[in-house]
Amino acid sequence: MKHDPAVALLALVLLFPAMSGAAAPGQPIRYTHKVHVTDYKIDCRFCHVYATKSASAGIPSVAKCMMCHRVIATDRPEIRKLAQYWAEKKPIPWIRVTELPEYTYFPHFRMVTYGKVPCLTCHPGIDRDDIAVQRQEFSMGWCLACHRGRGVSIDCWTCHI
Amino acid sequence: MLNRRGFLKIGGATAFAALFGGCERLPKKLVPFVIPPENLALGESLWYASVCRQCPAGCGIVVRNSEGRAKKIEGNPIHPVNRGKLCARGQAGLQALYHPERLGKPLALDGPRGSGKFREIPWEEALRLLMTGLSSVRAKAPASLLMLTDPMRGHRNLVAARFMKGFGSPHRVAWDPFGQDAHLSANEAVYGVRDLPEHDLAGTRYLLSFSGDFLETGNSPVHFGHAYGRMRAARPTVRGKFVHFGPRLSMTAASADAFLPVAPGTEGFVALGIAHVMVRDKLTPAAVAARGLWNAGLKDFTPEVSEKKSGAPAADIEAVAREFGSNQPGIAMAGDAAASCSNGVFTLSAVGLLNLLAGNVGKPGGISFPNRLAAFANYGAEAGLLLPPAESGYPAVREAVEGMRKGAFRMALLSGATNPAFTLPASLKFEEALLNVPTIVSFASFLDETTSLSDLVLPTPTFLEEWGDDIAPTGHAGDAITLGQPVVAPFRDTRSMPDVLIAAAKELGGPAAIALPWGSFRECLDKAYAGMGIRLEEAHKDGGVFGGKTAALRPASRAGKISFPKRSEAAFEGDPSKFPLLLHVYPSISLHDGRGANLPWLQELSDPIVTAVWRNWVEVGPETARKLGLSDGDGVTVSSPFGSLQAFVFLHPAIAEGVAAMPLGQGHSRYGKHAAGRGGNPYALLPASVESATKAPARHSTRVSLVKTKMKGALVRTVSPEGQGLYENIL
Repeated sequence: MKHDPAVALLALVLLFPAMSGAAAPGQPIRYTHKVHVTDYKIDCRFCHVYATKSASAGIPSVAKCMMCHRVIATDRPEIRKLAQYWAEKKPIPWIRVTELPEYTYFPHFRMVTYGKVPCLTCHPGIDRDDIAVQRQEFSMGWCLACHRGRGVSIDCWTCHI
Repeated sequence: MLNRRGFLKIGGATAFAALFGGCERLPKKLVPFVIPPENLALGESLWYASVCRQCPAGCGIVVRNSEGRAKKIEGNPIHPVNRGKLCARGQAGLQALYHPERLGKPLALDGPRGSGKFREIPWEEALRLLMTGLSSVRAKAPASLLMLTDPMRGHRNLVAARFMKGFGSPHRVAWDPFGQDAHLSANEAVYGVRDLPEHDLAGTRYLLSFSGDFLETGNSPVHFGHAYGRMRAARPTVRGKFVHFGPRLSMTAASADAFLPVAPGTEGFVALGIAHVMVRDKLTPAAVAARGLWNAGLKDFTPEVSEKKSGAPAADIEAVAREFGSNQPGIAMAGDAAASCSNGVFTLSAVGLLNLLAGNVGKPGGISFPNRLAAFANYGAEAGLLLPPAESGYPAVREAVEGMRKGAFRMALLSGATNPAFTLPASLKFEEALLNVPTIVSFASFLDETTSLSDLVLPTPTFLEEWGDDIAPTGHAGDAITLGQPVVAPFRDTRSMPDVLIAAAKELGGPAAIALPWGSFRECLDKAYAGMGIRLEEAHKDGGVFGGKTAALRPASRAGKISFPKRSEAAFEGDPSKFPLLLHVYPSISLHDGRGANLPWLQELSDPIVTAVWRNWVEVGPETARKLGLSDGDGVTVSSPFGSLQAFVFLHPAIAEGVAAMPLGQGHSRYGKHAAGRGGNPYALLPASVESATKAPARHSTRVSLVKTKMKGALVRTVSPEGQGLYENIL
């Protein structure tokens, strides 16, 4: 069947908003993982401190950012924004990048502490991102492939609780 | 060229976009902490042990803290008072913590005095106002400073006492509407110990209760509830029997094996009827030994006399006496309704007599008097400040009100949950007298009837946000010191009263500064307990120091010499022809003396007997209602010689005839949107009269009349009085 280009164009224009979820979100501060992780070799767990002991890896507190940025790069516009949040004692309303499918339970500490899974296995390329995006969809097949490969439990209730 | 098919495609796509275009995933926010709470582990709970201050029982609590928020309060399993249990009032402490009406900034009066209109001011200004007031009072007449609080315990009370002493004012008054004055006096007369005894309910075989609603209110409901459970079910071969005498079937009475309704104020005559049978029939060795009582007057108090006085059948009194005598160890105890008649000490002495005749004093399964301050021996005379006698303070309050009226006070410092403007009898005109004091400063978390009268309100943290300590007045063998710690970082800009007093003393200088040599209240506590050799970190993990060495019991010296109580009849105000019913008021299981009324969880907690929520009611028996032409759910005006209010009638199937009963706690005019404007305040019906021997408030000393009145709405109940299955309007 021959496609009418007008139809395709119209459909694209009309459907665009519905597809735009994959784009990099407009974060309140242009935080770059590349500078922190690749350039300065800061360990992921220095900021995401709860990854080793809690289900959620956690987003660093504003106080943690200010540990360094009280003195480092204080003249950059993005760091000024950070300093502004700190001065007003307001949290930074980051926009969530990585999403799990619904009805799943993902305990970071189990993967990181006991499974010794490197962070980049599930968050590929995030260390080189200027603006973090989710590159890996957490589909069940993808999870199971890894679980099978490592010989860990694939019981339903391991993830669906 | 747009053909039909193309048109349909575009139409379909438009519809699809219209339907789903708005369905793009909304960005989800990930909001970090600005400064993370201590010991935070995301998604992991931390439990902090502390002390509950929702009522004066002093239960130990553990609070689940998740990501810096207190999520749930539970009983501390190793605390001897409540052993892991906690009542609804304790659970509702969370709502006080998160209450939107909580004060977060100091308030200065912004309108006429007493209007309750305030504006927020910074702490610096508030403290300056406080210090200006205190300095000028101290320079002119230090004794014109009045401190009116609820009963405080632990080092918080010590700080307040030392502050006032150092300041030079003797006027420190603690008001507790449910003070135990009559119990203390009766115990002194009967046992020779002016203290509250420990009841070993768990080990007793027979429990006689006289108007004591110990399972729902009383001085330690969770402790008694737990002990009662063990009395009934924890021994393989013994199930303790429980008989309750009282004017109304309360939740406690409903738990009894037998409930015998008696007229208010006649419990003492019932107790003497039982004592009569015990001595007459020589039912216990102690009763044989107490033969002397017979001629001292006991021979006149036959069960028939008791029946005539109280309405409880003589045959039942005989039967109960024989059972009580032959099932030892047994305990007789009396509660608030018996204590707060004008003949309270007589009633309680008569009930105490039964314990002596049972010979259970100092024995397992009986009553004993532990020394609860043994650990504080090195405090000398100040030890008593850590656990002051549980008195109402009513004589001192009346004196203070008189002083205010005469202008004897230049400044008043108010604090505490007992809210005198709400809980004192209206005829005392507390509000009017207080406004006669030129400067009124309150330490408070909420604007209740009393704090609203202030010129300056200093916001305090809730008990979940501050350091403290407590020695429970009952429920342990003197082996429990409870420590309180903040379970969350304070949510509002608050300062605790002891902290403010310590800082004020420092600024005032002189003896007050010497008496309070610490930098903060926490330092005071840490020094005190570290000085006693307690390892603070361990103690805070446990929530206190429990199960230490139990000190020797205080000897109940007079127990050997039994004397006969002086006969006294309950007096009631009001002309019986005009006010035909006796008013029985009882503390609400959820709102206590009224302090819980601003917490919706407690408002919506239905009364265990009446099942009503969100407002109060008046209970009358079926026969009384028939005579007055009233039926269930009718609106009535309840009038006493001192005031009147409107309420809905609850037809109580098990209440002494000729009695109208009302729960206390509702009827606030202020105290926030959940509390204000819910029915009338029964305290306003009460006379200012006193118990004849102790001068404590005699709540049960007035008559009332009920007149049918049209009222809007209806009493909201979860269960119909017609039957458990017939649900009414809210479920």
